[in-house]
Amino acid sequence: MTAVVTGRATGRPADRLRRALRTDRALGRAAFRSLVAYQTSFLFGLLATTLAAVAMLYLWRSVLAAGTVNGFDWPAMKAYLLVAFVAGSLVSSYVDYRMAGRIQQGDVAMDLVRPVDYQRSRFAEALGFGGYELGTGLLVAAVAAAIFGGVAAPARSGVVLFAVSAVLVLPLRFGIVYVSALVVFWTRNYVGVQSARIALVTLFSGGLVPLAFFPGWLRGLAAALPFAGMASTPALLYVGGLSGAAAWRAVAVQAAWTVALWWLGRAMWRGASRQLTVHGG
Amino acid sequence: MRRNIWLYRRCLGAQLRATLEYEGDFWIMSVAALLTQGMGIVFLWAIFRTIPQINGWRFWDVVLIYSLVALTEGIAVLLAQGAWSMAVTVNLGGLDTVLVRPFSPLLQVLSSQIGMNGLGNLALGGSLFVAALRHAGTSWTPARIATAALVLACAPLVKIGLNVLTNCSAFWLKTPWSMFPFAFHTLGELARYPISIYGVVVRVILSVVLPYAFMSYFPATAVLSLGSAPWLGLLTPVAAAWCLVLGRWAFRRGLLRYESAGN
Repeated sequence: MTAVVTGRATGRPADRLRRALRTDRALGRAAFRSLVAYQTSFLFGLLATTLAAVAMLYLWRSVLAAGTVNGFDWPAMKAYLLVAFVAGSLVSSYVDYRMAGRIQQGDVAMDLVRPVDYQRSRFAEALGFGGYELGTGLLVAAVAAAIFGGVAAPARSGVVLFAVSAVLVLPLRFGIVYVSALVVFWTRNYVGVQSARIALVTLFSGGLVPLAFFPGWLRGLAAALPFAGMASTPALLYVGGLSGAAAWRAVAVQAAWTVALWWLGRAMWRGASRQLTVHGG
Repeated sequence: MRRNIWLYRRCLGAQLRATLEYEGDFWIMSVAALLTQGMGIVFLWAIFRTIPQINGWRFWDVVLIYSLVALTEGIAVLLAQGAWSMAVTVNLGGLDTVLVRPFSPLLQVLSSQIGMNGLGNLALGGSLFVAALRHAGTSWTPARIATAALVLACAPLVKIGLNVLTNCSAFWLKTPWSMFPFAFHTLGELARYPISIYGVVVRVILSVVLPYAFMSYFPATAVLSLGSAPWLGLLTPVAAAWCLVLGRWAFRRGLLRYESAGN
C-alpha cells in the first residue's frame, strides 16, 4: 500500500493536487451518472421516501392539532421535518451499499492496488450521489410542502450558521456511513449493520421527532453524539429554534464530529485492509 | 395439500440450516431487528410523553397496532421472505430451475429464503402485544379471545399476499432491484398509526385498494373495540384471502410473460 502511494507521489505538489482533483471529479461524475442511468428504479425509491415523509407530516399534524407542544407549532414542525428529511436523504444508501458489496465479494482487493486514496475516492463518489440525492430530496420536500400548504423561509437570525451547518451535513453523514460500511470487514454482514445504523441515526438525529421531545438525559446524550448534526442542528437553525451560544455550540459539535469521523475512518481502514479475507482464488 | 405443506417445511428447513451456518449473522440480524422496532417505540413514547392521545388513541392502543406490524412482518419474513428474491430470480433467469421441479413454483419461490430478523421482530412484537393488551385494560371475554386469535392468524397472510403481488412487478420491470415493491412496503408502514390521521385518499388506498391496514390497524380496532367501526376488523380473513388470491393471480400472469435470461 505505502509503496503504491509513494509511487504516485511524483511531480510538483501543484501537479499532484490537480491530478487528484481531476480523479475526484471523474469519480463523482461517474457516481452521479450511475444513478441517472437507472431512472425508473430510483423513481420508485423516491416514491417510497415521499410516502414516509408524507406519513410523518400527517402524524405530526394530528399531534399538533391541539396547539404548540415543546415549542413547536404546526408550521414550525412542518419546516423542521422537511429540512430534516432533505438532510436525511443525503448519503442515504449508495456509498455503503457499493462498498459493502465489494468487501463481501473481495473486489475490494482491486481498490487496494489503485493509486488513489480509498476514503477520498469514496467521498468523491458520495458528492456525486449527493448531487442527485439533494435534487430529488428537494423535489420531494417541495411536493410535500405544496400538499401541506407551504413552508416558511429560514429564520433571518441564523441564516449564516444554517448555511454552515447545511454544508457540514454531507461530510458528517459520509463519516458515519463510511465507518459503518468498514465494519463489514469484520462482520461480513451488511444488511444487519446497515439497518442498525439507520435505526440509530433516524432516532438520534431528530429526523422523526425533534430532540426536544426526549427527556433531559436522552436529549443531552443525543446532542453530544454525532447524530444530532445529521438533521436536528440544521433543521433547528432553519426554524430559528437555536440561537446565540447554543447555536454556535451545536455547529461546533457538528464540525468536530465531521473531523473526528474522518480520522476514525482512516484508522479503521488501516486496520481493516490488514486483516482482509478474500475467499476463493 | 399435505404434500405441499410438507415440501414447504422441508424447503424452509434447508434454508434455516444454511442460514444457521453463519451464527454471527443471526445475532447481528436479531439485534438490528430489535433496534429498528425499538426505535419506533421510543418515537411513539416521545410523542405521547407530551400529549395524552391522538384522535382518541392512547399510547398503549397505538403500541398494539405497532406490535401487530412487528408480528406480521416477523411471520412474513420468517415464512415467506422468498417473495423479495423474485426480482433477482427473474432477472437472472433463475425460475428455469424452479419450473422444472414438481412443486408449485410460487411456493418454491416463497420458501427460497428465510429472514432471521423475523425472530427479533416476533419476540419484540409478541411482548409489545401482551404489554399493550394488559395496559389497555381490556376485559378478556371468550368472544374477544376468539377475535384476537382470528385476526392474529390472518393478518400476516395479508402482508404475505401483498408482498407477492407487489414483487410480481419483477416479471414486467425485469430489473434486479426490488425498488418498486419496496415503495409499497413503505406505503404499508403508514398502517403503523391509526389511519384516521390520514386524508381520505390515503385511507381508501390503505383499506381497499392495497389493504395494508388489515395487517395492523383494523385487527387492532377489533381486538380493542375502538374506533368508529370495530367490526371492520373481523373482515381480516376476507382481506387475507383477497390478497393471497391477488398475489397468486399476479404470479400466474407473470409466469406467462417469463422468458428466462439469454445464454
